[in-house]
Amino acid sequence: MIGHPPNRRFEWRLGRMLIIVTYVAVSLLLVGVALMLIGGISPLDGGPLLDIPRLIDDLAGLTPAGFLWLGLLAVIATPVSRVLGAAVGFVRGGEPLMALVAVAILVTIGTSIAIAVATG
Amino acid sequence: MLAGGVAAGIFGSLLGLGGGVLIVPLLTLGFGLELRAAVGVSLVAVIVTSSAAAGVYLERNTANLRLGMSLELFTAIGALVGGVIAFLIEERVLAVLFAVLLGYVALSMVRQRPATAIPEALAPVDPDDEDVQAEVLRHLSGDDYAVRNLGRGIVGATGAGVVSALLGIGGGIIKVPLMHLAMGVPMRVATATSNLMIGITAASSAVIYLIRGEIDPYVAGPTAIGVFLGASLGSRVAHRVDLRILRGLFVVVLAYTAIQMLLRAVT
Repeated sequence: MIGHPPNRRFEWRLGRMLIIVTYVAVSLLLVGVALMLIGGISPLDGGPLLDIPRLIDDLAGLTPAGFLWLGLLAVIATPVSRVLGAAVGFVRGGEPLMALVAVAILVTIGTSIAIAVATG
Repeated sequence: MLAGGVAAGIFGSLLGLGGGVLIVPLLTLGFGLELRAAVGVSLVAVIVTSSAAAGVYLERNTANLRLGMSLELFTAIGALVGGVIAFLIEERVLAVLFAVLLGYVALSMVRQRPATAIPEALAPVDPDDEDVQAEVLRHLSGDDYAVRNLGRGIVGATGAGVVSALLGIGGGIIKVPLMHLAMGVPMRVATATSNLMIGITAASSAVIYLIRGEIDPYVAGPTAIGVFLGASLGSRVAHRVDLRILRGLFVVVLAYTAIQMLLRAVT
């Protein structure tokens, strides 16, 4: 044994979570694409911008954009949820340095969002 | 677009590339999208394919989670910087950069050799060495290999993040050789760990493209689904395909696409 032994059970759970969230995101995108096909919408028609307050109405109204946006948000959230899960696991496993690394990654993504909002 | 995504996913999977190198030219040259919009969509597609693969690698304990997370902190910082720069420079410059990337990938494929297990003899970390860096390296090493050159890894990972955000690629083409050749990580683990890191790298800049309105859901949805299906299909048929012929064909396609990108930049 050269390095620190991995926590196999924790990593297995993290991997399973990643797969499940990915499939949920892909399913939402699939519904959106199916609704596009049913509605005769071309990908080159130009979709609406993300409007979070309108998202629930779009989903209730079965509009393609609602499902596509929710799917896209889920896609971007997938790796973030893995880092969040890892942070919790590292805290529980008594690895404060790795937990700190996970928090720093989340802070970096938060900074990306803040910069985009401020300059967008 | 769905079919194009499937093709990009199959090719990417068979040749060990993320979809980004193929999606951006497909959307810009094939469908007339602006380069920045294509990069935003490509980042989303890259996250979808890498997340599914990373989940499997984690379940099988192939990826090195601690090393991946330590390096992805720096790819995320690089991606943040790249995501900001992408909106400051002209699309022509981005097109030239992309053409250079395509040329580099084509050249790498021409020169590709079968992977060796570990490039150099490993220098095991001295268990009595109390140096902080040695302790960190020991913490990041695997069961049967020692990680080294953390500083080089950090610089390379940051650069991979910048390139990923600028050009809409996962950056595996930088991360895998970086971990394997410079850091002493076995190829199998480097590939799995790179896949793990791609998600966060792409997500860090994808949020910038999304908030700035550069991701069109009508384009991103079909493309991401197509790439996901293509990558799944590619991994199933990989053993039946003669990769030498495919690689040769792909080099020609990459070279042609690089020239088209350059022409787009200058006209």
